[in-house]
Amino acid sequence: MDKPLGSVARACAFKVVENLKPEDSVLVCIPPLVAGVNPHSEWIRKYPIITIDGCPERCATKIVAKNGGKIRGRVFIPQSVQKHGLKPKSSADIGLDGEKLAEKIADETAVLINKILRK
Amino acid sequence: MAMVKNIVGIVSCSGEDLPEGTISRIATRIVLEKLRPDETATICLPLLLAGSEDERAFARVFPTIAVDGCDKRCAEVGVKKYSGKPVATIVVSEIVKKHPRLKVKSRDNLSDEEKELANIIAETISKKVDEVLGRKSKAV
Repeated sequence: MDKPLGSVARACAFKVVENLKPEDSVLVCIPPLVAGVNPHSEWIRKYPIITIDGCPERCATKIVAKNGGKIRGRVFIPQSVQKHGLKPKSSADIGLDGEKLAEKIADETAVLINKILRK
Repeated sequence: MAMVKNIVGIVSCSGEDLPEGTISRIATRIVLEKLRPDETATICLPLLLAGSEDERAFARVFPTIAVDGCDKRCAEVGVKKYSGKPVATIVVSEIVKKHPRLKVKSRDNLSDEEKELANIIAETISKKVDEVLGRKSKAV
């Protein structure tokens, strides 16, 4: 909520499910998993999961693991910041560099999806 | 445990599923950064749900408002489960219904109409903060 890298994680996930891999992916909202709301809870047990974590607390990974999800790939945004040398502006507005960063990570996530689906 | 009433915690829906979730996040940020910066603090919902004792303790000690995007009310459910009942819950989808001329479509970049809604929600949250703190609402 209050970290720019969390906003990059969201932007990246939207780019993957809406633009790059709309036929091969769905975005799973984290809080319904803990509230036990379907279909989210069913999806994580049924399909391979890629978690995208915005900070070292790694909440997405922890919550999916705790709720029986099959994690097949993990994206850790702080590592991507170092790799690409791009920093988002703020949590409310990730700015141009944040957008570029989200695009690069989304491309990498799409490649990961292809690997998992053997495409 | 006694509640400390000088600051109000706001837990927002993390909002990946619906546009209303994104609006709840933006509205919460407006309250925290512009409307009530000295009276509010945010609690990260995923962190609270993942097991952070700091976030859970904060929501136990300070009065907390849940801002939920839809009627699944995950923020309210999460706070209730780990820290006790929130003092109030604001459900964005219910407020959206009262403004049919404003259309909600995007989960990512908010349109002008969605920004207007975010401001309306932010004002609603601010009024609730004043109520919880026992203050008269400031003009927003």
